Amino acid sequence: MTIGARTLRGAVGVAGFLAAAEAAIRTGLLDARLLPPPSVVLREAALLPADPVFTAGLTGTVSRWLGGLALAIALAVPLGVLLGSLPGVERATRPLLEFLRPIPSVALIPLAILLVPDDFLMKVSVIVYASLWPILINTVYGLREVDPLAKDSLRAFGFGRASVLLRVSLPSTAPFIVTGVRLSAGIALVLAVSAELLAGGAEGLGVFVIRAGSGNRTDLMLAAVLWAGLGGMACNAALVAAERRVFRWHHLRSGVAS
Amino acid sequence: MRRTSGALTFVLGVAVTLALAACGGGSTDSMKAAANNGLEKTKLKVGAIPIPDPAALYIANTKGFFKEEGLTIEPVTIQGGAVAVNSLKSEILDISQTNYVSTFSAVSKGEKLKLIADAYQAGPNTFVLMVPKNSPIQTPADLKGKTIAVNTFNNIGTLAVTATLKVAGLTKDDVTFKEFQFPQMAAALTTGQVDAAWMTEPFITVTQSDLGTRKLVDTMSGQTANFPIAGWMTTEEFAKNNPKTLAAFQRALARGQEIAAKDRKEVEAIVPTYTSIKKETAAVITLGTFPTTLNETRLQRVADLMAEYGILTGKLDVTTLLAPQPAATP
Repeated sequence: MTIGARTLRGAVGVAGFLAAAEAAIRTGLLDARLLPPPSVVLREAALLPADPVFTAGLTGTVSRWLGGLALAIALAVPLGVLLGSLPGVERATRPLLEFLRPIPSVALIPLAILLVPDDFLMKVSVIVYASLWPILINTVYGLREVDPLAKDSLRAFGFGRASVLLRVSLPSTAPFIVTGVRLSAGIALVLAVSAELLAGGAEGLGVFVIRAGSGNRTDLMLAAVLWAGLGGMACNAALVAAERRVFRWHHLRSGVAS
Repeated sequence: MRRTSGALTFVLGVAVTLALAACGGGSTDSMKAAANNGLEKTKLKVGAIPIPDPAALYIANTKGFFKEEGLTIEPVTIQGGAVAVNSLKSEILDISQTNYVSTFSAVSKGEKLKLIADAYQAGPNTFVLMVPKNSPIQTPADLKGKTIAVNTFNNIGTLAVTATLKVAGLTKDDVTFKEFQFPQMAAALTTGQVDAAWMTEPFITVTQSDLGTRKLVDTMSGQTANFPIAGWMTTEEFAKNNPKTLAAFQRALARGQEIAAKDRKEVEAIVPTYTSIKKETAAVITLGTFPTTLNETRLQRVADLMAEYGILTGKLDVTTLLAPQPAATP
């Protein structure tokens, strides 16, 4: 399927959903006084960029989100390479990692509020913690999938461990790492907004939602949530596009139809 | 290569920002202390809920009262007083709005907190039990065996409702409380998940006009008439280490509170600036009062009522919780 056809089908799906929701509310199937119809939410969402409180919030949330994600990459990739290249260490740390990984990160936010004496650091640390795991685990597994023949060939030509890592292992692991980053990007956004919803803040998408909720403005709450969704979608789309372009060889080799 | 170095710069930038943020506090604060009438701290992060209660903070800030005292206030939007206690302990916040029931519960569990100033007191019809338009419930006595929505268990809601039930000859065991956030209560009422909901403004006004819900009873009457609702708190440690800063904060806030107490128009004008309550809604909602002094007799009433209805296990002496109050303005 071409990109154009795919986008068209997606757009039809979204339009269909919105039309169904609008109809359900307009016909009284859902109560318009409790749930504002999509037309109202979309109008509010379109007006939000003109609201300085919202734009400050969006900028704040996005910077913590991407900052936290970048920090998670900077920590998880080297750690993953370390664990992936030293099987002994990986086996020794596996129980600890398997214990930490499934802990719902949102549940750690109250603890982070208590322990981290700075609002920005508190929020970034929960984002980093949550988005660490997919990148780390994908890096470790990616390194296991490296073609042993390629490694052996390089070794046979007298290349050292570092060279093998740089020339073979890392490049062939890169697609796995990027997939991990893509998964983490979504998780990081969830945490960025959740931390704001729980802890509050001077600005942020979550803070905007708290305000809207306390003021009984469900339309504004949903409009802000819509923007959060759009942000997540844009980030995912950008990473998918990057994956396709940069790792064309990987998709061809592993036979992933695109 | 260019792309890699860009990414590297970004990561470095984040790291540097974090490092700077981490060591920002100490030295600059102490340097400024000398310059600012001996204030121990001049920048304060103050938590406030986006509802009418903390209006005085925003009035005082907008009118520059804090500036005149040498203070810079960063208002931080919070969703409730419970999380705020932890934010105060970790110094994410310096001062926070709270409701008295939450603070007294926290203190009885060993938290070291001080009350700085009063913020908001219930007035007639500021906290009411609402029922759907055609509900068979006509008097509080009809609530026997029914389900009531409150925003938080063991807090002002359950306390005020229990006191109201007592007048009707019922106890809290005659009803079932269910937790709903205020924005979800209207839906809970209309879908029949609850039979009655304990609501505050702006939800009372909005659901009355949008859904035709009916006011069953004002829960702030009799034992709870003019009940103290919200105040400003900090940790015992912050109060001990920053007495001059706290006094300056109290003076500036008191000036804002005077305005809020006297002039409803000022409250109506400020509320839409820090909440999502529309101007037209702010003009019609029922407001409580903005007390200008922190009165221990009034607050003791809250602690005593909490003890009577089992929210506190023993008697709590609130005088020990009050931070020193500023001298009366001439």
